[in-house]
Amino acid sequence: MNTIERLQQKIKQGDKLQIVCNDSVDKQGFLNMSAYCGVVEYYPEELVITLKAGTKIKEIVAILSENNQALPFYCQNQEKSIGGIYATSGPEFSDNVLGVQIINGEGKLLNFGGQVIKNVAGYDVSRLLVGSKGHLALVTEVSLKILPQRTAERYQTEPKPKNKVSSLHLDFEKKLKQIFDPLGVFI
Amino acid sequence: MSLTSELIRNLPKGLVMVGSEATRPFECDGLSAYKQKPLAVVLPSNLEQIKKVLEICQHFKTPVVTRGAGTGLSGGAMPLEGSVVLGLSKLTRIISIDKERQVAVVEPGVRNLAISEAVDQFGLYYAPDPSSQIACTIGGNVAENAGGVHCLKYGLTVQNVEAIKMLTIDGKELSFSRQDDGIGMLALMNGSEGLLGVITEVTVKLTSKPKIARLVMAGFSSVSDGAHAVAEIIKHGVIPAGLEMMDKLAIEASESFAKPGYPLDAEALLLCELDGVEDEVEEELKQVVDLLSAATTVKISETESERLLLWKGRKSAFPAVGRISADYYCMDGTVPKRYLALVLEKINSLSKYYNLRIANVFHAGDGNLHPLIMYDAGVDGELEKTENCGNDILKFCVEVGGTITGEHGVGVEKLDAMCIQYGEDELKVFHQIKAAFDPDSLLNPGKAVPSLHRCAELGRLHVHNGELPFPELERF
Ligand SMILES: Cc1cc2nc3c(=O)[nH]c(=O)nc-3n(C[C@H](O)[C@H](O)[C@H](O)COP(=O)(O)OP(=O)(O)OC[C@H]3O[C@@H](n4cnc5c(N)ncnc54)[C@H](O)[C@@H]3O)c2cc1C
Repeated sequence: MNTIERLQQKIKQGDKLQIVCNDSVDKQGFLNMSAYCGVVEYYPEELVITLKAGTKIKEIVAILSENNQALPFYCQNQEKSIGGIYATSGPEFSDNVLGVQIINGEGKLLNFGGQVIKNVAGYDVSRLLVGSKGHLALVTEVSLKILPQRTAERYQTEPKPKNKVSSLHLDFEKKLKQIFDPLGVFI
Repeated sequence: MSLTSELIRNLPKGLVMVGSEATRPFECDGLSAYKQKPLAVVLPSNLEQIKKVLEICQHFKTPVVTRGAGTGLSGGAMPLEGSVVLGLSKLTRIISIDKERQVAVVEPGVRNLAISEAVDQFGLYYAPDPSSQIACTIGGNVAENAGGVHCLKYGLTVQNVEAIKMLTIDGKELSFSRQDDGIGMLALMNGSEGLLGVITEVTVKLTSKPKIARLVMAGFSSVSDGAHAVAEIIKHGVIPAGLEMMDKLAIEASESFAKPGYPLDAEALLLCELDGVEDEVEEELKQVVDLLSAATTVKISETESERLLLWKGRKSAFPAVGRISADYYCMDGTVPKRYLALVLEKINSLSKYYNLRIANVFHAGDGNLHPLIMYDAGVDGELEKTENCGNDILKFCVEVGGTITGEHGVGVEKLDAMCIQYGEDELKVFHQIKAAFDPDSLLNPGKAVPSLHRCAELGRLHVHNGELPFPELERF
């Protein structure tokens, strides 16, 4: 079982790491999150669920459906983990992100955002890191806004294709990567 | 050459204001307890002029405070000593409206309500509706990630912005869009409080106007009954367009101000708006009314004017409280909804402890509280007492897993509270983000994120001699 402390230790060793969530990948150079899974907190009336990053979408869907609730974003492959979706999605997903717990490239455990629907304290790092493809930080927990099933369906449409960004934009992304992973651990 | 003479030399006549009298209207924002006059105020009317101002300020290493309408409630647009206020109120052009794609491109100084008015003819509107929407600008909304009464169903600013254009302090043009490949830069700019760049253009999402809207008003004999009804409504799968609550003091103030017909014997009042197509609304209406069994009064709006009147009470709650008190201080904590009643109890006990009246209005559906602490700035020490009371409320919000600000931002006002919300490591990240965009810290410096030094000092204050302030008060 992966614990936060073990994950921190691994990152602190400073070797290049690729974050995955797949039981079949368990060798050097990989950080496999599939065992780091489960619901941390879920109160249906809050419309909020907090999940460990390795939790599979199909498991989340099953838990939510017991209360006629659902994830309000498009997700074709339910075998994926919530951490994986977080790392590869865009605004259609981040619209529902409320908070995130990460381990940065120096092995520090950090918390941004929270478990409430409205929160403007501090820069919105929990939405900033959506789409970071595992290159900026290891995501360990995600808090999401969820919705009743019939309302959630409206948001489950496939996102539009993405556009390339300017080189100036990329320069700023690089600067931000430096903040979260100054040693370049996450590849 | 001095900074002001450079500004005057490079900008058209009348756009630069200097001197105590001319800059007075800009000395504070909606949080008038904090005031500071700037070195100069500049009101550019196009992008080139904004660039010129930034260039001059960068050259003189002079701080720039970007300003929209100045309705902010946390001191975000309050000038800093020796700063230049960059007021964008002249940039009010609606550049384009695309009714098929349901988007509009607007300049940053366009007022929130002006967007909805401009697209009304197409059956569309801009959904986020801060109570200040007649006055506040879209630039200010993005910079604060403003919310409103309807954001439980329709989202905050961040969910309703398609793209923005921004100038960095060194005049570089950046654009961020929801279609960008990569990390969430657009989301980062929402709520960045004027610290990362100057927003020069916003593409907003437009929403189709609902066919009908009905409002249910319910009175309760206790706040916890009201809070329980909120949880039940949501648990049963209804997402109201608005779900607002008021406590007794707020009910009384609003009733005497706007006469909406609120029940004066109620301890708590719930306003629940349902909108959409007729069948759906009727069905949800039945569902909601069934869930209000604990209510002492229930009333459903039968006409549009009745619905608007019931809202008028809530929407004028702030000025209504302003009428019964010399001054009031508006807090903005957010808590998990299951703790609403508990937090209200705590606020009541703090009100007694500090001997300050507090009226509560809140966006109950998303747990966002607006305790209005009434005080008299003319009485020595009363503002300080009020601030302490406010900080204690925010501390409690954080203790139950909430946040110090749901929609008004940190500004200068909640810098101390930020030390409660975040640890040193997170604050360091915030400072690094600022430095990535603005290495010389010229854009609204010192706001939104407290210095580590400040938090360290405060930590020392808070646990003075190992004693917490007010040890007699029960802590959660
Ligand atoms: C009576 C009243 C009711 C209110 N109700 C609500 C409510 O329901 N919900 C809510 O969320 N807020 C509410 N507010 C707060 C306020 O109206 C919002 O924060 C609003 O978004 C501020 O807009 P503004 O144009 O007045 O911005 P300002 O107050 O001028 O500025 C706010 C911040 O944004 C920055 N800024 C402004 N324009 C730009 C730009 N173009 N580029 C970069 N930074 C910029 C400023 O530097 C400052 O930090 C209320 C205020 C009042 C007075």
